[in-house]
This record gives sequence, C-alpha cells and structure tokens, in this order.
Amino acid sequence: MGRPTAVVSSGKGLFPVLVAISLLLPLLLAGTSRAADLSVSSNTYLRYYQKEFTGGNKDTYAPLYEYLSADATNLGGTPVSFHFYGWGRVDLSDPSGGTSGKESGDLGSAYLEYLHPKGNAQMKFGRFFFAEGVAAETIDGAFFKVKTPIGFGISGYGGAPVEHSILDNTDVGSSIYGGRVFYNRSGLTEIGVSYLKEKGPFEGEDREMYGGDLWLHVFGPVELTAQAAYNQATKGMASQRYALRVVPGSRFDISAGYEAYSYKDLFQTTLHPAFATPSIDNTDKVQTIFGIMDWEVFSGLTLELVAKNIKHDNDNPGNANRGEAGIRYAFNGKRDVFGLSAAAVTADRDENEYQEYRGFITYSPSKFHLALDALAQQYKKEIDGKKHAYQVVASAGYKVTAYLALSGDLTYTQSPNYQDDYAGLLRATLELGTATGGKK
Amino acid sequence: MTRRVPFSAVFGAVLIALFVGCSAVSQTPSVPPKHPEELPAGRVDCLECHQDVSTGALKPYATFRHSGVFINAHGTYARQGQNLCSSCHAPAFCQTCHARKEEMKPNVKMGNRPDRMAPHRGDYLVTHRIDGRIDPGSCFRCHGNKSDAQCRQCHR
Repeated sequence: MGRPTAVVSSGKGLFPVLVAISLLLPLLLAGTSRAADLSVSSNTYLRYYQKEFTGGNKDTYAPLYEYLSADATNLGGTPVSFHFYGWGRVDLSDPSGGTSGKESGDLGSAYLEYLHPKGNAQMKFGRFFFAEGVAAETIDGAFFKVKTPIGFGISGYGGAPVEHSILDNTDVGSSIYGGRVFYNRSGLTEIGVSYLKEKGPFEGEDREMYGGDLWLHVFGPVELTAQAAYNQATKGMASQRYALRVVPGSRFDISAGYEAYSYKDLFQTTLHPAFATPSIDNTDKVQTIFGIMDWEVFSGLTLELVAKNIKHDNDNPGNANRGEAGIRYAFNGKRDVFGLSAAAVTADRDENEYQEYRGFITYSPSKFHLALDALAQQYKKEIDGKKHAYQVVASAGYKVTAYLALSGDLTYTQSPNYQDDYAGLLRATLELGTATGGKK
Repeated sequence: MTRRVPFSAVFGAVLIALFVGCSAVSQTPSVPPKHPEELPAGRVDCLECHQDVSTGALKPYATFRHSGVFINAHGTYARQGQNLCSSCHAPAFCQTCHARKEEMKPNVKMGNRPDRMAPHRGDYLVTHRIDGRIDPGSCFRCHGNKSDAQCRQCHR
C-alpha cells in the first residue's frame, strides 16, 4: 500500500515560506482587531561553528533557522481556533544537515480546533501533536474528545502518521487510528483504556497497542498513577509504570515507583535503528525502581533529589544506579535562578559509570538577561581516549521592546568528540499578540 | 487480499460519536481555552492562586504544581488530557521537544534559559552512549519513531 504523499515533507523551501509568513502576520494583526485573538511567535537562530576532519580539512557552518508558531483563537467570535508551528533552515556556509543539504525544515502542526464553550468537547483537524492513552503522536487527520455529565468520556483519532524513518529501506506507517474510553470523578479518579493501530512496516507487523491508565486520589495528599501498554503484535507487555506521589501542599512533593519494559515488545514499533537489532539485543528486559523529591526548604530555595535503580535481565549492559542531588534558588522576583547539582551513575560495567556536576545562574537586571551554565562529566572508563568532558555556555540578551528580544550564546566544549570547540549562536525572539492573558 | 477499513470506520465512528456526544456533553464549566491573566516568570505554582480541584482536569491543582516531580512525570498526566496544559501553554510548547524531525537540541535553542528542563546538555553525543545502554526506554519515548539528521551519521 502506498504512503499518502501529503505526509512526506523534506522541508526544503520551507524557510522562505516561514519568513514570508512571519513578516506578513504582524501586518495582518493590525487589521483584524476582534475578528480573532492572534498570537505569533518567531524564533530566529543563526549558529556558527567549525568541524575539523581527519586529514586537516575544516568545514565552516552557519545555519540560519526560523521557528514560527501562530495561534488564532476565537475565530469570528466562535470557539474555533487555528494553530501553526514549523521550522526551516538555510545554510549560509557549508551544508550542515548531512544528506538534507543546505535547506531543511518541517511542518510541525497546522490545524483547526473546536473547543466546546464549556471545555468538555474538542475536535482537531489537520496536522497536530497529541497524547491520549497509549498514543503520543503527530498525525495528519482528525481527533475528537467528549466528556459526559456522568463522568464517562470517549476520544478517537484517525489519519496518516507523521513520522521520520532513518531505518534503511524502511518506509513509515501508512495509516493510524485509535481511541480511548475513560471515566473520571472529580477529585477522586480517572481511569482509561486505549487502543492504537498503525499499519506499517514494523518488523513485518502492524503497530497495535492496548493501553491502560489510572489516576487515583488515595487519601489526603496521596495519589497513585499507573500506565501500561500491551503490544498485540508481539503478544507481550511492552511497558508498565506505577508511581505513588505525595503532595502535601505547595512546598513538598515526593514520588516513588516501579517501571518495567521489554525491548522486544516496546521497540518492535521503532523506525530508528538504535532500537533495532543488531544495534541492541532485543531479548533484554528492564525493571526500574525510582524515587524523586522536590522540597522548597524556604521561599525560593528548592532541594531536588532523584534516585533510580535500573535492573537488566542481560549481563550486558548489566545493572546501574543513578543518584542526583541539586539545589535551585529563585531570586529577583523568581525571574532568575541559581542552581547546583551533582549526579553519579554506578554500574556493573565500568563503561557505564560516570559522574556529572553542573552549575548555572541567570541574572536579569532591567532589560538585560545574562546566563551562565557549566557542566563537567567524568567517565570511569575512557571514551575515545578521554575520561572528562566540559561545556560552558555563556549567554547575554537584551529586550529591545516588549515584543522583541535579542541574545547571543557562546559555547565552549571539550569532550571525547571535541578538543577545544567554540560555537556561537545569535537569537531573535519576536512575540506578538492581540489577546490578553497568559500563554507560555 | 487487502482490507480497506481504517478511514471509513474511524470517520463513521467520529460522526456517530459527535451525533450522540453533542447532546451528552457535560455542561459543567471546564477549563478556559486561555489562562485569563498574565503568568508570572519562572516555574508556575497553580496553588498560589487556585485551590481544590481543577474543573478541567478534575484533579487537584496541587497535582499540576510544576515541581521537578511533575516535570519528570508530565507525560503521565498529559496522556489523560491536555486541556489544562493548553490553557497556559501554546500548542507549539510541546513541540519544542516532541518534534518528529529536529536538528537543534532543546538546550541549544534555550541556551539563554539554563533553568529550563533540557535533558541533552553538554556534548550529549558522548553521554548518550551510556544513557542509551543503561536505560534505552527513556530515549525511546522521544526518539523511537523520530530523529534528527545527526542520528543517521552513526545509526544506520
């Protein structure tokens, strides 16, 4: 079965379109007053870096990226809205995108949305990203969701999957559909069962998953969440996650749980060779116990702790533990943050052990915004002859107007991949809108 | 012999659901399409203004406090509904990370925002060899069916 051509998009030529739209939309805003609430966000990045290859050849890269998103809500005074998101690249120097050449891009979303006036029903048509039960997809198609007065609800979707395969000689799925039936009772529970089927070349089978999800308010500040996905194609449980969380107010939050997945059943649907044999041994299974805590010790100062025990069935890669401790201090009316963290991974095998230290700070006096971020890593076993990696990112920006901000980053990296690498980035952020209220 | 089921079945189901659903939609006021007031800078704490249970998500506002715990598990909540998310976040917010095709890492785009969550800091081309070995499931969530051009240089 052939794949719908509308789904395939190399992105070439998208950059000029995005630029044209980003220039025209601000002009349109002025004349549309109350026909719709419009907001436009444009992020333009110019990167600059070099790569030196074996033999002394050196390439210089200067890719120019435009990321554009636009949202028009309340169209004609109705609960209908239109949303758009896409990016494009043109190279001002050597081609930076490998096989994609000097131009690339992607249409992330472009869709119409209907939202019921009370917010309990929803429809989407076009290209969009959504998460619903066992699905977390971008599709060209339709989606609906309805909540009824007695707490039951239903959602459904169908269309063509928007995917990007880098498996050799493998196309992507040709059609996708599914849905979720759920029940919720305010403040007590939400429970759902979901189904997804995608026709495609997933190790010779379609992708067919059943899912279950649960949120349960156990008592007081205690809640339980559960997610499970069963792979009908491989007849096995692909993944499970259960977590108990305690949120006794606005200053303390702690969660602990169990997670498990099977390579064969979870990765059967992959279009990325890193998750397929021979890159991995798909007989392995993983069980994880995790805990995470977030405690605001006093106003502005937060302590974060994370612990994870990862157990493999197979000796290679073997078991591992990750522990992380960090503090964050928000100041300057919470506009700025100072953070320190340290993480350590211990493992059965030396090549899987490393330590990581990080410190960062932002400072925003008046219209300026300054940021510094430093990261150091130490590997137990040498990687390409090195045991250390460092990266420092320094950023400085200025808010020219309420809508326009300019900033620049300078990044220094020393790692097994880089001897002494410097990279630059210039950033222009334009935020325009006719609506009031908050969106981030 | 091929079966031609999906589209007609799905759209038929959609129409039936709409026909039935329009008369059965809950009239309880739910979440507005847009947060009515400007949001403060930094991590948001809904509890600063809201109490009890969100009528949109039907879960306590405390559940959505943007702590490290919530951010780590945000997918769990998003898979049960995004109406509350989209009240404060533009749809493109999700796609800063959840993109099917991407060339710039989130932490490169947000180099001026080291306070934001971005899991690929540093020279992650090196570190991902380790993280990918010990817990590939955490990579799969975002990279299983999508990738950037750089992946192909090594993963063939």
